[in-house]
Amino acid sequence: MASINAQIKRGSAELAVLTLLAEHALHGYEIAKRIEEQTGGVLRFDMASLYPMLHRFERKAWVRAEWQTLPNGRRRRCYWLTASGRKQIAPLRAQWRAFFQALESVTGFQNA
Amino acid sequence: MPDWKQIVRKHLRVLAGWSPEFTEELATHLEDNYEALRCEGVPAEVAFQQTIDQIEGRCRVRLVMRFRQEELMTGVFREVALPGLLTSAAAWPFHWALARGHIRPEVLWLIGGQLSLWWWCLLPIYGALGALLSQRNRGSRLQRMAASQLPIAIVCVLVLLIFAVGFTMSGFVNHYQLVSARVESLGIVPPGFALIPAAFSLLGAGIAEVSTRKFGRLA
Repeated sequence: MASINAQIKRGSAELAVLTLLAEHALHGYEIAKRIEEQTGGVLRFDMASLYPMLHRFERKAWVRAEWQTLPNGRRRRCYWLTASGRKQIAPLRAQWRAFFQALESVTGFQNA
Repeated sequence: MPDWKQIVRKHLRVLAGWSPEFTEELATHLEDNYEALRCEGVPAEVAFQQTIDQIEGRCRVRLVMRFRQEELMTGVFREVALPGLLTSAAAWPFHWALARGHIRPEVLWLIGGQLSLWWWCLLPIYGALGALLSQRNRGSRLQRMAASQLPIAIVCVLVLLIFAVGFTMSGFVNHYQLVSARVESLGIVPPGFALIPAAFSLLGAGIAEVSTRKFGRLA
C-alpha cells in the first residue's frame, strides 16, 4: 500500500473530516476509523493529527462539539458541522480538484 | 480496563492548561482504540502497549507540539498580532514623549550613572496591556503571552536592523574604534533589548493573568 507524504495528508485532512461530518455527527475515534476504512488504510489520522484539528475547527466555529451518552452508557464528544463549516467544503473541494487537474496535466496522472 | 483518564492526565501533564474535557476526550479515544484491539483478539498487554504508544515518546511530543501550534496560530491576527500591534502603537508615542522630556527610553544597565527605571517600570504595563487586549479578543493563554511579547519582538527586529546597518557602515569607513564599539555592544544589545524587556513584559502579562483570574475579566 502506498504511503502518503505527511504534508499531503495534513492538507487533505480538513476536507476529509469536514466531508465526513457533513454526513453524520461523529466522535473523534469514529472519524479516524471511518477515514481509515473508507480509504483502505491509505489515510490514517492519529491523535496528534486529528484532535488539534478538531479543536481548531471548533474555535473557528466550523464544528460544534457536545458530549453525548451512547447506547452502551459511555460518554463521547461528538462533532457536528455548523453552517459555517458546511460553507468551507465547496472551496476546499474546488482547490483539490484544481490541484489534481494541474497534477494530471503535468504528470498524466489520472484522477479517479 | 486501564484508567485511561488517569493515564492521559499523567502523560500529558504539559497540556494541563487545557480543559478537563480535553483530557476526557483523549481518554475516550484511547479507550475505544484499546477495546477495538482487544476485539480483534490482541492480547491485553500488547493492546495496552499499542494504545499507550500514541501518547508516549515521539507521539507525545508531536501531539503537544501540534496542540500548541494550533493554539497559537488559530486566529493569530486577531488574538496575537492585533493586540501586540495596538500595544506597540500605544507605546511608541508615549516613549517619544518621554524622549522629548529627556527621559531616554533606552534599556541599558546604566544611563548617566542611573538605572533606566522608567523604561523598566513601563514594560510590565505594556505586557499586561497586550495580554488583556488579546484576552478581550478571546485569545488563549499562549496567545496572550505571545501578544505581550510582540512589541518587544518588534523593537528587537528594529534594533537588530539598525545594528546590522551600523555595523556594515562602520566596516566601510574602517574606523577601528567604531567597529570595536559595535562588537562590544553585542554583549549589551541581546540582554538589553530582548531578554530583560521580554522578562519584564512577561511579568506584566503574568500579573494581568493572575489578576483577571482572581477578580474576573477586567475587559
